[in-house]
Amino acid sequence: MKIRRLSAAVAVAASGALLFSACTSPAGSNDPAEGESTETTATAAGPCKADLGDIETADGEVKVSVEDEFLGYNSNTPETYSTYNSAVTERLIGGFWYFGTDGAICADEEYGTYKAISEDPLQVEYTLNDEAVWSDGTPITYADYLLDWAAQAITKDGKVTKDGTETNPLFNHISGLTLGDYVPEGPQADSPDAKTFTYDYERVYADWKIQIGGAFPAHVVAEQAGVSTEELVTAIQDLDMDVLKKAADFWNKGWLSQPGEVPDPKIAPVSGPYDFKADGWEAGQYITLEANDAYWGTPAATKELTIRFVAADAQIQALANGDLDVIQPNGPTVDTVQQLEQLGDAVKVDTNQNLTWEHLDFNFGDGIFSDSLEAREAFALCVPRQKIVDDLIAPIDPEAVVMNAREVFPFQENYEDVVSQSYDGRYDEVDLDAAKEKFAAAGLEDGVEVRIGYAAPNPRRAAEVEAIKSSCDQVGFDIVDNAAEDFFDKDLPNGDYEVALFAWAGSGQIASGQNIYATDFPQNYGKYSDATVDEAWDTLASTTDEAVHAEQTVIIEKQLWDTLFGIPLFAHPGVIANSSSLSNVFNTAAQSGVVWNAEQWSRAS
Amino acid sequence: MLKFILRRIGASALVLLGASLLVYVLTINSGDPLKDLRESNDPNRATLIAERIARMRLDDPWYERYWDWLKGVGGCFTGNCDLGVTVNGIDVATLTQQAASSTLRLVTVATLLAIFVGIALGILTAIRQYSGFDYTITFSAFLFFSLPVFWAATLLKEYAAIQYNNWIAVGQYAPWTIVIVAVLAAFVLQAVLGGTTKRRLITAAAVFGFVTVVLFVFNALDWWRNPMFGIGGVLLVSAAAGVLVTALVAGVRNRRALYAAFTTAVVGVAAYWLTAPFLVNQPSWLLLAGLFVVAVVVSVAIGAAWGGYARKQSMLVTGITGVITSLMVVADILIAHWASFLSVKSRPISTIGSQTPNFTGGFWEQVLDLGTQILLPTILLTLVSVASYSRYTRSSMLETLNQDYVRTARSKGLSEREVIVKHAFRNALIPITTIIAFDFAGIIGGAIITEQVFGWKGMGALFQDGLNAVDPAPVMAFFLVTGVAAVVMNLVADIAYAALDPRIRR
Repeated sequence: MKIRRLSAAVAVAASGALLFSACTSPAGSNDPAEGESTETTATAAGPCKADLGDIETADGEVKVSVEDEFLGYNSNTPETYSTYNSAVTERLIGGFWYFGTDGAICADEEYGTYKAISEDPLQVEYTLNDEAVWSDGTPITYADYLLDWAAQAITKDGKVTKDGTETNPLFNHISGLTLGDYVPEGPQADSPDAKTFTYDYERVYADWKIQIGGAFPAHVVAEQAGVSTEELVTAIQDLDMDVLKKAADFWNKGWLSQPGEVPDPKIAPVSGPYDFKADGWEAGQYITLEANDAYWGTPAATKELTIRFVAADAQIQALANGDLDVIQPNGPTVDTVQQLEQLGDAVKVDTNQNLTWEHLDFNFGDGIFSDSLEAREAFALCVPRQKIVDDLIAPIDPEAVVMNAREVFPFQENYEDVVSQSYDGRYDEVDLDAAKEKFAAAGLEDGVEVRIGYAAPNPRRAAEVEAIKSSCDQVGFDIVDNAAEDFFDKDLPNGDYEVALFAWAGSGQIASGQNIYATDFPQNYGKYSDATVDEAWDTLASTTDEAVHAEQTVIIEKQLWDTLFGIPLFAHPGVIANSSSLSNVFNTAAQSGVVWNAEQWSRAS
Repeated sequence: MLKFILRRIGASALVLLGASLLVYVLTINSGDPLKDLRESNDPNRATLIAERIARMRLDDPWYERYWDWLKGVGGCFTGNCDLGVTVNGIDVATLTQQAASSTLRLVTVATLLAIFVGIALGILTAIRQYSGFDYTITFSAFLFFSLPVFWAATLLKEYAAIQYNNWIAVGQYAPWTIVIVAVLAAFVLQAVLGGTTKRRLITAAAVFGFVTVVLFVFNALDWWRNPMFGIGGVLLVSAAAGVLVTALVAGVRNRRALYAAFTTAVVGVAAYWLTAPFLVNQPSWLLLAGLFVVAVVVSVAIGAAWGGYARKQSMLVTGITGVITSLMVVADILIAHWASFLSVKSRPISTIGSQTPNFTGGFWEQVLDLGTQILLPTILLTLVSVASYSRYTRSSMLETLNQDYVRTARSKGLSEREVIVKHAFRNALIPITTIIAFDFAGIIGGAIITEQVFGWKGMGALFQDGLNAVDPAPVMAFFLVTGVAAVVMNLVADIAYAALDPRIRR
């Protein structure tokens, strides 16, 4: 899942797009990131899941809120692609890695291990745990991963994708044909039931670490297509479309569920710590998962996990009444935090900063900022960033700070390092005098109109624009609140703005920022173009060397500050709360949400 | 009449067709179905957008899509309905069934309660116009009517759920609470019953004394956690209900009706005693429904047997008494199961959901669970809609009470009961029928806010989710159900007019 997304609303995951977010902190770092207010227990340290030692599944039920209905077992189809759906399916399907609390990539070694056996050309070897089995007893093998590759490589006309741009994929996989583009040969192994297999990348891919995660059961798809698993493997290798069409039909539609009908265990075996519970799904109400008996790794701490579908505004009282044990209200406000704090000791509240960050971007294609660095500097000098954070964000998360980078977040350990090398603090304080000087130097006329565009309705952004207006109008700008409901549809792509105010969701990819900052890339809405930045991205994207990544990130950040691509504001705040009787509930900055380590939640006895 | 009904149905069908076209066009133009994807920065955004355009047929002209939808709906007449699928690939027909059943469960009881309570309050306030009671009810009606639902829901959850659950863990009233409750009860009852100052004082004192004693006894028995009612209680309440119903319908001087009501209560309780083993040990909804039907038939038969010259009235009295007795029987069994329910669910009133997830317990515990889950939304919906019913009834009653024929009825020496029930109320019902019919059509549309704050997924959510995603199929399904309900209920209202008002029958 390698997506960057700009989040229109306050809520990170409000719309359908599912994104896991993470940034670039190296895997395996063990210190909790600075500024993170996660309450840690003795066993929890670092962004990854703590080792709970030998635990046994305790009877009982933990109830957690998710805001929308479960849709189906296969979260990789466009119909089911949402954070709400994956909140359930991630408990069911294991994988080689997951995002830690600060977005670090954590390996799940109980599932399997992977390593690059060659860096250039890139070759990655995956080894599944020998004991890894589907809940119906069938081993998880190479066949499952070959199918996973096929779902992201084969087109309707029976070919492996050439460059990933074909519009007729055989499988409706949300990631399209990217994997087939990078690994045209597919994973290689000795036999269909091999536990070890290798991916040969056609060209170096900086984000190889998060490319291969979980897989769906090939033996189920084979059976539905009327062949054996071995025959399915052969069919994929030989591109036998008779078999593949049937397989794809099932893959695309067969796992969709009608609300309330728990998928038949025969077609939906699981590979994670939790499994569907028979009759455990009530349409529109809840879905209950129960511990997977066949799971070979550390078992779920609590037998039943009930995910109730509850709107954000009903969650707090439900927590107070014990109808829910863990909540994560979307788009938290100051009220949310205050109400939770009033609940006293019965409830543990944790606020943090998420991997979604708000920023002001200049329009380089058109308007007063497009060709005048001084104009941009004048604007940057009058934007009251500290005041915005103090007034709007700090009341929710007291640890919130002004964000001074784009590719790293304040709660990540390399943040200080990157910022100290790329930014000297010149826009930390509002300096109206300096701003006026720059304003004059840019040759701007008093009362020049600056339209700040954002997607309406959004009260917080309206307040931000209000704060900017009261400061920047003194310099000579005339700030216009240009909120529009179709901002992303019309104003942003058409360039009808001087400054755009929105948020990007940080992605797990190291190189995805290239889409935003490099010349003529698709997410570069402001038509920014800088040779240094372009070159640094090219260097960064074409290597797997983490030292190079770090070095190029600093170059990019510095150049973006010096040329003033835009002004980062803050990372979005997030709030979770849980009943004090539960332990091991931790907030995470990633979009997998508070359920990211649900299998570790246990109730104090 | 038949011709009239057919003509109405024909005209309604045309209206529905036109409205469906309008709603369809409005829905698909209400927003951008690709909004979330446009805001996405997915490397495969283009593929995803193309996929959704193809799946939702966004490139096809609206009339083709509408026509295909219409063909799918037309299939309903030949037994293969196709209401389409949602943007998430879910079959809308099934979704609508689930939503409708959830909504009906949520709002039926509330609407019936609101109609019953609202009309009763309306009559009482009309009779006691400009009394303290009238002012209090008027004030409360306006207060509840103007309550923001989400805010009232928050208060209800805080006091009726969270605080109540904290309290029931112990289940004892503090002495001063008892005094306050008793004072309030005394005040309300004397206001309702009215009379001279002396009579009011006596009423208040009696109520105060009664409530205080009962509550102290309940404390002593730990009644709130281990409540019991008993067969004697059922008999007592049923008999009292019989007297009340007789007083309203036939007048207590009609001894035949009174004895018929008593007989019904006694037979009902005897039947309870006989069927109790089945009811408690092997209950099922089917058994309950069957026994209920039998109870009503037997009650009406008792009325017919006792009736004599006032056969029709007697049958009505015993029928209503029979229904009340049946309800009391169920209430008694439920009360007896409260203690075991509390042991399964220590915090009985939930703030969200239509049932407790994975609830384990017998049939009666499950009934209690469904009941406690539906309690808060029902209270809320009732409070909000009682206001309109009581106000309409009051003004309609006042108007008829001032009519010449009411004065004539009084002057020819009819009892006050007959004047009010037969002459005034029956005429006052005509305008109220219209409102009730419209409301019934409206309830199936769901209570969007109530559904949302109490975590129910009903018709309101179906409509809202569909509209948010600019997804016509669920919105049209919502429209179909509400539109058909509106047409049908209007027809029912027309027929009801004819029954209520002989002038319309001609």
